[in-house]
Amino acid sequence: MTSKAGEYIKPELMACCGAREIKDNDLVIVGTGFPTMSANIAKYTHAPNAVLMQESGVVDAQPKRTALSVGDPCLNPGAAMIGGLVDILGMLLQAGWVDVGFLSGSQVDKFGNINTTVIGDYDQPKSRLPGSGGANPIGSMARKTLIITLHDKRRLVERVDFVTTPGYIDGPGAREKWNMPEGSGPSVIITNKAILKFDSETCEAYLASYHPGNTVEEVLDNTPWELKVAEDVHETQPPTEEEIRVIREVLDPYRMISVYEKKGYV
Amino acid sequence: MSKVMSAKEAISQHVRSGDFLFIGGYVCRSPFAAIHEIVRQGIDDLTITRSNAADDFDLMIGAGCVNRFIATFLSLGVYGLGRCFRRSLEKGIPHKIELEEYSNLSLPMMLLAGATGMPFVPVKDMIGSDLMKVKSFMGDDKYKIIDSPFDGKPVLLVPALNPDVGIIHVQQADENGNAQIWGIGGDCQYGANASKKVIVFCERIVSRETIGKDPSRTIVPAAKVVAVVEEPFGAHPGYTPGFYDTDFSFGYQYQQASNTEEGFQDFLREWVYDLEDRTAYTQHYIRKFGLAAYKKLEAEFDYSYPVSYAY
Repeated sequence: MTSKAGEYIKPELMACCGAREIKDNDLVIVGTGFPTMSANIAKYTHAPNAVLMQESGVVDAQPKRTALSVGDPCLNPGAAMIGGLVDILGMLLQAGWVDVGFLSGSQVDKFGNINTTVIGDYDQPKSRLPGSGGANPIGSMARKTLIITLHDKRRLVERVDFVTTPGYIDGPGAREKWNMPEGSGPSVIITNKAILKFDSETCEAYLASYHPGNTVEEVLDNTPWELKVAEDVHETQPPTEEEIRVIREVLDPYRMISVYEKKGYV
Repeated sequence: MSKVMSAKEAISQHVRSGDFLFIGGYVCRSPFAAIHEIVRQGIDDLTITRSNAADDFDLMIGAGCVNRFIATFLSLGVYGLGRCFRRSLEKGIPHKIELEEYSNLSLPMMLLAGATGMPFVPVKDMIGSDLMKVKSFMGDDKYKIIDSPFDGKPVLLVPALNPDVGIIHVQQADENGNAQIWGIGGDCQYGANASKKVIVFCERIVSRETIGKDPSRTIVPAAKVVAVVEEPFGAHPGYTPGFYDTDFSFGYQYQQASNTEEGFQDFLREWVYDLEDRTAYTQHYIRKFGLAAYKKLEAEFDYSYPVSYAY
């Protein structure tokens, strides 16, 4: 397949948006899908020394196929280190070594809180979700959290039904009150329409950029709270030729990422 | 001393209804053979724990073995939400389990505390989230928040866990129970060592001499082990590094079957109740899906360099 920067699908753009948040030498905790793709794009472009880790116990895996879970068999051979949960979430994350964590959720709110526990009432759930897993510690302690979600009024909410993973909780000062690491917290919400960032004063998410093909109005219409818009709001930078080349020639020759289109990431 | 016995003997001699069980695994090395035997023997009223549970815990919940679950997460991975887990919590089928929720840091740390004899352990997760607001059967003992005696800042403490029995699946063990793993660890080592006694399921039994050639791989010493069960293919449909791959198509079948209560009961009959043991299970698998499907799961060999402990 030819790789022209002008032709790309939305999940590729979103993966690139994630990649651009990763710096060289960053230690990154990833899940499956988007996060792994993002971190690998970064590694193959501007951040060759970034190190990927899976909470299950793996550092710097060298998978020969796409990992379908953070415990996937393909993460074992070739890794730099394999331990367990206490090694990754304890010795590295809790000890302050992790720069970036990637999270997603069934609900994300304006303070970057994430719900992966329950839709509806906790005791009489409308829909029971998996629970925290590693998300709560990652969101509590990674220096920077990147959140990936669909942009609609079901996923983005003013207040999540359950704060599984704390973002800025209920606003300014909340993370400090609970003694979370200084300067930590969500830094961006990457959606299929836009990039939201967080105001350092109010801790609220605001519209930083809209993706090519989307508009400010469309973003506002699909956000259930009164979303503030940055003064310098602009179009998201499309994937560069180099980013597209890395995705299609190196990381994803079979275009597995296109499954996200079927999940609504268009 | 040989502690080698059959799965049937190990479970019937060492697991009682009402027990608190740690069941190891993290996609990797889930002790499915043991879980099926527990279900087959009708053991119930169990409290179970492990970080990141999957189809294995979903099956135990659906089969009605579980009353309480000290949990962090349960899903079928690429196949979505745990169907039995949802039916239990949303509709009370077969009954509503009691859930005490932690995260993948706090729960392993509670097991680490249990394994090392500490009464509790401070953790930096959970604080400030709604995980603090929900308490179930552990009540106020789920956690405590104190001002740190060192710097006066708030710190969350979680209690040590000491399960009655730890059940793990490992690559190899000797007949006395020295158990060795390689690959993704999850919370297996801490959970096993926190337990009052350990049942080791393994792909192969090796000699004490073999264990001694690479003793750094041992995660549980024989002294804590009460039973050793050799059960090749015992973690299927999960995987064991160096032995066999995850069976993704079987995972899909479990999802489809467990979509409905009836489908789940049929699945239990076919894969648990109507089979006497793991050998029958493997034979049934090969008969149903063919030897080629079974062989396809077999791991390739890519040996590491030998290590030397000599001085």
